[in-house]
Amino acid sequence: MPPKTTEQYYSPQFIRVDYKDTELLKKFLNPHGKIMPRRRTGLSAPQQRMLSQAIKRARFMALLPYIIR
Amino acid sequence: MAETPRSEEGLTQADIEQKRPVYEVGFHLVPTVGEQGVGAVVEKIRKLLGGAEFISEGFPTRMTLAYTVERAAQGKREKYRESYFGWIKFATEKEHIPALEAALLAMPEALRSLIIETVREDIKTEPRRAVFSSDRLEGQTLVAPKPVAEKGGEVSEEELEKSLEALTGGVE
Repeated sequence: MPPKTTEQYYSPQFIRVDYKDTELLKKFLNPHGKIMPRRRTGLSAPQQRMLSQAIKRARFMALLPYIIR
Repeated sequence: MAETPRSEEGLTQADIEQKRPVYEVGFHLVPTVGEQGVGAVVEKIRKLLGGAEFISEGFPTRMTLAYTVERAAQGKREKYRESYFGWIKFATEKEHIPALEAALLAMPEALRSLIIETVREDIKTEPRRAVFSSDRLEGQTLVAPKPVAEKGGEVSEEELEKSLEALTGGVE
């Protein structure tokens, strides 16, 4: 998926993501704590899968909330 | 010099150990263990890992949980808002993992734990470029560069023939 804006173009591209890196993961959550879709993150499909798995692990370990009210 | 023993496939003991899968166990310890008790609990977890090769470790530090974690213990529901979170990265055989999971579940000091398969190296997420920016669709919309039209003009017959000869290398 090609980047649509300059902001997406400069977003981080990673090979692996750690579930303990909550500061990075928070950047991919919306204000309600939901995972942003690929059209917003600008990541490739494998990267998006890695990201969502890391966020789900962080949620289970109570490092990130499931929902923000 | 003593020879290193080799297996049937020609692998040394060191090769086999290097090929073992790498795991990481992350755990929350209940805050009631206190600062002094954390070290003893970590030592207990390290003993559970048995003959595993330790790669790296994050000593438990006190943190506020993102949500209240509840668990049933001795017929009561316990609620925790804080814990000591730590992790250990290690390499061991796959067969040892279910036993480790069961042992962690049975530990009264361990509030919650997670075992994942990972890589030996530290995971550091570096931005591809210097800037990490907004998580929203902000900024200027990227515009594809417009193709520049070639400059036209008069070309003499001689010039045309010369350039054609240069291209073909004088082959008729």
